[in-house]
Amino acid sequence: MFSGMSSDEPSPAALPEPVEDVHGDGRWMSQHTRFVQECKDAEPDVLFVGDSMIQLMRHHDIWRELFSPLHALNFGIGGDTTCNVLWRLQNGELDNIKPKVVVLWVGTNNHQHSAEQVAEGVLAVARLLTSRLPRAKVIIMGLLPRGERPNPLREKNAAVNALLRARLPRPGPVLLLDAGAGLLAPDGSLSQRDMFDYLHLTAAGYAAVSKPLSDLLLQILEETPEERRAPPV
Amino acid sequence: MSAGDSNPAATPTPCEDIQGDGRWMSLHNRFVSDSKDKEPDVLFVGDSLVQLMHQFGVWRELFSPLHALNFGIGGDATQHVLWRLSNGELDNISPKVVVLWVGTNNHGHSAEQICGGLLAIVQVIKNKLPNARILVLGILPRGKLPNPLRERNTQVNHLVAEAVSSLPHASFFSVDPGFVHCNGDCCFCNVTVH
Repeated sequence: MFSGMSSDEPSPAALPEPVEDVHGDGRWMSQHTRFVQECKDAEPDVLFVGDSMIQLMRHHDIWRELFSPLHALNFGIGGDTTCNVLWRLQNGELDNIKPKVVVLWVGTNNHQHSAEQVAEGVLAVARLLTSRLPRAKVIIMGLLPRGERPNPLREKNAAVNALLRARLPRPGPVLLLDAGAGLLAPDGSLSQRDMFDYLHLTAAGYAAVSKPLSDLLLQILEETPEERRAPPV
Repeated sequence: MSAGDSNPAATPTPCEDIQGDGRWMSLHNRFVSDSKDKEPDVLFVGDSLVQLMHQFGVWRELFSPLHALNFGIGGDATQHVLWRLSNGELDNISPKVVVLWVGTNNHGHSAEQICGGLLAIVQVIKNKLPNARILVLGILPRGKLPNPLRERNTQVNHLVAEAVSSLPHASFFSVDPGFVHCNGDCCFCNVTVH
């Protein structure tokens, strides 16, 4: 389904891996366990999964205003790479739920991997999602620019987006939404008004990015026929 | 307790740009620039717990009205804050109060070392701002269940509370959630700043 694999070996960014508890307070596993538990109880129509870009959405007004009403779950963990998200989804975070849409935002923390490897990692997550949820659509959020001024990580993130754009079949169940262009000033700088540390979004930054995402979600949900669910036992 | 080269938590150290987008230095430069332009009465400095305060309504409601500046950087440990304050972030300002909240990211350091780091920061602030009152906030518990980092953080708080008790210009202030959430009978509104 996905064209353009450049080698027979899987990308290291496509290998599932939990986060090692190096600090000693087990927080990553606590969060994963909580998400698995949420899958037992909730019936989300939309699943948000990824790194801090997803996680921190929950703390801003846009979550309550735009996404909560769609019956959404938020499975974001700050610092996660594609490997970590892959591991979580394979180890319980997709059990018992049938969301109509999955919003995937991950890749900016894959510091050990090249743009090519990161793109393959993101596509591997998308493949897992479409195989486990054959009727769902997947929205891949393009990686945002980072750093106050142009720098190698900006180029890398842009390259990942370009590779995703090239490799995703159109039409298809997986869509790419790149909301980053509006954040750059004419001189290429990022403003602290949108990204307080030139990586994470402020409330204003989230509002800007969430509008196109919300529009797309509503469009998809309107088009998706209601599935009959067996009544809970 | 002296802050010598033997204590990494008390040795001013900038953050290395391992990732490649220079964000830490961008933030430090912005803070130095803020110090040139602004006249805060209160300066908040520390790690992500300080930085993220700025992103929520509580900042606008409680701290902005006090003419406060926020010099928090996520991930910072005591040695990073020490470097920042020694390299321009305290220049040209005379806040009446400095709120210091850092220490939870000092991974690999002992409670004694972290305490030493905090005291070194208090000393730098006193040297540059002799008339400022310094509030050292207690490090919060972390992790869902009891774990070694909680013990370490608690120990740091004990050591710091004791060490600053004899300093006229500094106070230890616990903001443990159990403290903050009790009904109206707590918080910053009851603290008078002289």
